[in-house]
Amino acid sequence: MLNRRTFIRILAGGAAASMLPLDNLRAFPFPGEDPCTFSVVKGSDSAAAVRKAVELIGGMNSFVSKGDIVFVKPNISWDRPPVQAATTNPAVVETVITMVLEAGAKRVIVADNTCNDARRSYTNSGIKTAAENAGADVPFMEKRKFAKTDLGGEILKMWDVYREVLEADKIINIPIAKHHGLSQVTLSMKNLMGLVGGNRSMMHQKLPESVVDLAAFFRPTLTILDAVRILTANGPQGGTLKDVRRLDTIAASTDLVRIDAFGITLFGDAFPSSDPADFRHIGLAAERGLGSADFAGAGFRKVTLES
Amino acid sequence: MKNLRRISQILFLALFIFLFIQTEYKGKNELGLPVRLFLDFDPLIALSSFLAAHAVRVIFLLSVITVALTAFLGRFFCGWVCPLGTLHTFIGYFRMRRLNRKRPEANYPRLRPVKYFVLVFVIVAAVFGWNTAGFLDPISLTIRSLTIGFNPVVNKMIRGALDFLYSLDIPLVSPAADSLYSAMTGTVLAFEQPVFREMILIGILFAVILGLNLLAPRFWCRYLCPLGALLGIVGTRQPLARVDVDGEKCISCRRCNMACQGDASPFPAGKWASRECLVCFNCRDVCPVGAVSIHPTTRRTGDGNVDLQRRWLLASGIGALVAVPAISIGAHRERTHPLLIRPPGAIPEREFVRRCVKCGECMKVCLTNGLQPTLTEAGLEGLWTPILVPRLGYCEYNCNLCSQVCPTGAIREITLEEKKEIRIGLALFDKNRCIPYALGRNCIVCEEHCPVPDKAITFVEEQAIDETGGPFILKKPVVDPELCIGCGICEAKCPVVDIPAIRVSSINESRSEENRLFLGL
Repeated sequence: MLNRRTFIRILAGGAAASMLPLDNLRAFPFPGEDPCTFSVVKGSDSAAAVRKAVELIGGMNSFVSKGDIVFVKPNISWDRPPVQAATTNPAVVETVITMVLEAGAKRVIVADNTCNDARRSYTNSGIKTAAENAGADVPFMEKRKFAKTDLGGEILKMWDVYREVLEADKIINIPIAKHHGLSQVTLSMKNLMGLVGGNRSMMHQKLPESVVDLAAFFRPTLTILDAVRILTANGPQGGTLKDVRRLDTIAASTDLVRIDAFGITLFGDAFPSSDPADFRHIGLAAERGLGSADFAGAGFRKVTLES
Repeated sequence: MKNLRRISQILFLALFIFLFIQTEYKGKNELGLPVRLFLDFDPLIALSSFLAAHAVRVIFLLSVITVALTAFLGRFFCGWVCPLGTLHTFIGYFRMRRLNRKRPEANYPRLRPVKYFVLVFVIVAAVFGWNTAGFLDPISLTIRSLTIGFNPVVNKMIRGALDFLYSLDIPLVSPAADSLYSAMTGTVLAFEQPVFREMILIGILFAVILGLNLLAPRFWCRYLCPLGALLGIVGTRQPLARVDVDGEKCISCRRCNMACQGDASPFPAGKWASRECLVCFNCRDVCPVGAVSIHPTTRRTGDGNVDLQRRWLLASGIGALVAVPAISIGAHRERTHPLLIRPPGAIPEREFVRRCVKCGECMKVCLTNGLQPTLTEAGLEGLWTPILVPRLGYCEYNCNLCSQVCPTGAIREITLEEKKEIRIGLALFDKNRCIPYALGRNCIVCEEHCPVPDKAITFVEEQAIDETGGPFILKKPVVDPELCIGCGICEAKCPVVDIPAIRVSSINESRSEENRLFLGL
């Protein structure tokens, strides 16, 4: 008898397994070309930048299959408007959803376990409207929809995970690059905290270890970093425009460690160091084989779009 | 006519419930709907706020309409409009079906004066500064009871049932339960399960008030309601709708008295009590011989109005005169209670308590469910007034909904910009419990959540050694009292969940001259 738990595990397992051969394929060099595995696109039209960034690393069709249920995870944590750069840019979210649906996905779900009131955060971040316009379902994460799940991490064991994430075929992570009071930055790995429930604030005590455990468990199919605007101080919530810098930059990769390693370079001199080795979660993640801290390595491509 | 009246009652009750449900964040900073409409039309709310706090608000003019109509039509508000009255009517019907055979005429004319004594108490107490109207005013009482006592239970029942179906994982049934749940959340059901500290107490009180219908139909309206008494007095003459019984035609069957909603005794002819009459038209419709008519006349068609015995009126007044000073003695007046964290926009405490009618609108609309009714924090005079309980819900930085719904200006209308400047209290650390101080580990969840752009919580960095002996930078949080607005999100999110390591108390609140901590703030 197939019970719910096994079913979800099989689904999650299947999703994880389906990612592996794809990664291997792309690592395999095509004749005459060094395949791009990490793209950075600068351009004032953020929708075009997102499209270009994904196209460079193989196009959405290589990440999403027909009939997939795709969970898109932007940062919707705070009740702040997009200009304050506390939440993922709605235009980026909208474009990603459109591309996922174009690639043949059956359903796109967008949700986040917010810090401020969910209704206000969904509305004022502009993400609810943008995502619904693009054709996604944008449910609030209700308490009843969390399932106790073994994350199998080094320090994170049994945690509440939002069921629709477990049931989805693919996860696409779209963090925004922000300063963070404790970990200096919040990028792709920390963004995954929005997929779990429970007393998440406990994770702060061992934040690098926690976010690496989350990254190891969820293993997003694709990560697209929103650096259209970044928050350089008083993060992750911000609240004043003086801390916001407009970079008009999008980065995309299947390797979220690389995304994080790249992300810290965006902040210029905001941190004492922009060496990935000085950011504990990046080092830990690389050690555990979740990806590479050398973002500028093989397959790195940077493009500037003419506006 | 009776059916017309029923339709009116149903429509007004439906409107009331609709507005009640709409008293919630709907995706915009402004509510948009006049959710407190019934309170605005309630003259007892306006009168008590005026007398107790000398509050004069333009919106009070709406209640003048009620008064003017009542002067001509009598207590039509009770009979045709009042949502609590309608609830009583419904429950009264059940009673009539079951008990009427035993006691067909369940009238207690001797209890009629009680509500006038209640009214006198309310008015005299208000004149001397204690606003008791809110406890017994039917609109205020109903909104409060529905918010605190009724809505949470209904939510729990429906949610519980749908959750159960969802958790069973049955094909078709569980997805259907899920869709129904989603459709109902934010429309019929609250966005999240409401939680109120005094749910049981206020719920039971409401049940008792509704249960009084077993003694007599609309017992509350007939014998206790101070608004009914006020409207009764205003509408004594009611020249547009007077009950007129033709003694010649009357066959003394007493059916009018049995059907009377208000214990106004149309029978015997000439004994009709206009102040008790709810203009429900039952007497006219039930009369088998057409002896009862209701029509405009200035003629005195009945002289059954109760004699308000002066000694009892005096007793009520004196009771209020004793009660007002009595309730003003208490610890709450000597020192502000530390947990008396009023919502932003709340006017200074003395004035606040005089204005607040405990209707619970602010608690209903509060995004985070943090506004809760007081029990002892503000003394008996401030019972059921709103306080923020950060552990149940913090004050959302970009929200001023509570200031939009207050009917009396106890919470004055404030803009969002103003709101962000108002200090409702101050957060202070308990260093014996705070993780970085007590356990030497990093945390700063409070700093992360602090909504003030320049951060009222900052930290001092210190070189420290972790449990493996490795060096790391320990961040010890500190509060800046000039920036902290007391919103309580730090307390709400503190990972030390039982007794949070950072707690807000009322000290340093902007509205108080005394409850201050620092020079120059």
